[in-house]
Amino acid sequence: MLKKALFALPLALAVGMPAHADMRENPADVLRHVINTLPDSVYLTQSEQNLMMMEDNPNLWTVEDGRELFYAERGPNNVSLETCDFGKGPGVLEGAYVEMPRFFADTGRVMDLESRLVHCMITIQGFAADDPAVRQRHGSNSDHMKLQSYITFQSNGLPWNPSLSHPLERAMRDAGEQLFYRRAGALDMSCQTCHEQEGKRIRASVLPSINQPAEWTKAISWPAFRVGHQNSRSTQHRVRGCYWQMRQGQIVAGSDASIALIAFWTDAARGQPAILPDMKR
Amino acid sequence: MFGKKKILAGGLVALASAAVILAGCASQEKEDYALAYYTQMSAAELAEHLIFEKGGFNLDQPTQEGTTVRERQTQDDLNMVCSEYRNRPPADVAGQIVTEARASMKYPEYGLELGDWRRGAELAWSGFGFRVGHNVDNHERREVGGNCYNCHSMSEGRTGGSLGPSLVGYGKTRGDSLEVRRFVYEMMYNPHAYFPCTEMPRMGHNGLLSAEAMADIMAYLLHPESPVNR
Repeated sequence: MLKKALFALPLALAVGMPAHADMRENPADVLRHVINTLPDSVYLTQSEQNLMMMEDNPNLWTVEDGRELFYAERGPNNVSLETCDFGKGPGVLEGAYVEMPRFFADTGRVMDLESRLVHCMITIQGFAADDPAVRQRHGSNSDHMKLQSYITFQSNGLPWNPSLSHPLERAMRDAGEQLFYRRAGALDMSCQTCHEQEGKRIRASVLPSINQPAEWTKAISWPAFRVGHQNSRSTQHRVRGCYWQMRQGQIVAGSDASIALIAFWTDAARGQPAILPDMKR
Repeated sequence: MFGKKKILAGGLVALASAAVILAGCASQEKEDYALAYYTQMSAAELAEHLIFEKGGFNLDQPTQEGTTVRERQTQDDLNMVCSEYRNRPPADVAGQIVTEARASMKYPEYGLELGDWRRGAELAWSGFGFRVGHNVDNHERREVGGNCYNCHSMSEGRTGGSLGPSLVGYGKTRGDSLEVRRFVYEMMYNPHAYFPCTEMPRMGHNGLLSAEAMADIMAYLLHPESPVNR
């Protein structure tokens, strides 16, 4: 474990090294850049401790685990995920995540990263839909968090640019906007309740505003290591948690409703650099 | 009120059905994807379709109030109209909302008495209750809380949120007259009577808090010995 800890971080940083010379390969640098564009943001600067710990984000080890897993020959078909197309061609990972959710012609659906990964694990590797490798979505030790962390790391520092060229992509984004502002449930809440204004708090937690792109890019940068959970968490996990807190029903991960919402919230951070992996309270 | 809305909602369903028929035609013309009908719907229609027809939520899961998630996700007139205007209703709509909220008020039989401020303190702090999906709140094991501190500062000793205004010293500055009690009670029961499309939940109207719990929280806000007023 110690040996792993010693080489995991530099290796993780090197793996993601992009072709562009000016790219920030360190998520902590990306976050510092974002903060510099909005130094007065209470949300971005609420945890000095997390900022300091970004260099040693435990999720970077999850990234490394994911790299091994991505290229490993697995499943009943004993093949790797190298032929999985995340939108930029089979096996092309660099910059793929910041353009998702997007339309995939082979399924006829707009898919987010998680549902695309499920699709590839089932169709390419031959996993059954209820195999733990596919079904278990949460926690640093799940295959999903490892793979998602590795894939998203290949988009670190790149601007969010979800595809809106296909009519279905635009329809899903617009439906997601409706869902964002849709009040329902026992507490009459919508996502707007907590994420419309800057600098507001739920108890001690400062909330990000969707109307402030520099805050919003950090808000939607998942996977992130959640210090309070001592685990890496995904985008779908964040969506589920919000609906739970709002006392609405449980949204189904991978449903078109969840993907529509993610399409809208990713579009709201368009142009801002993705911080992957991030670290959150 | 909102008769127009209901007619509109009916129209949406009809339109959605038409879109499904259109999609049927489209598939005969060998469209390369099955979900083309999504693009025939308005964004609002599609959102409803994704929730209720496309497995967006676990609709059949039971809720603490004895219904299912389907009812939780179904908007009443107020939530529908406030969502449409993103909580900034035009004056005429706002007036209707206030009128409706006033008409919804129900008062405890024994009048607007202050309850136990110590119990109110715990209820104001507690965020327990009505969560479904995972880690479902079991109301038989613990009393439902008021979630007040999520959004409001209330006393110096505990950190509260800032989505709502600070209520520190509330009773100290306003006194404990019947008028103040009525306002506090009505703000908890249905705050849209004063602030149409406010973010604050309808704690009474939605059945989140009992009359007793509201009396206790009211005491926490107004009683001179409560930490709110010391």
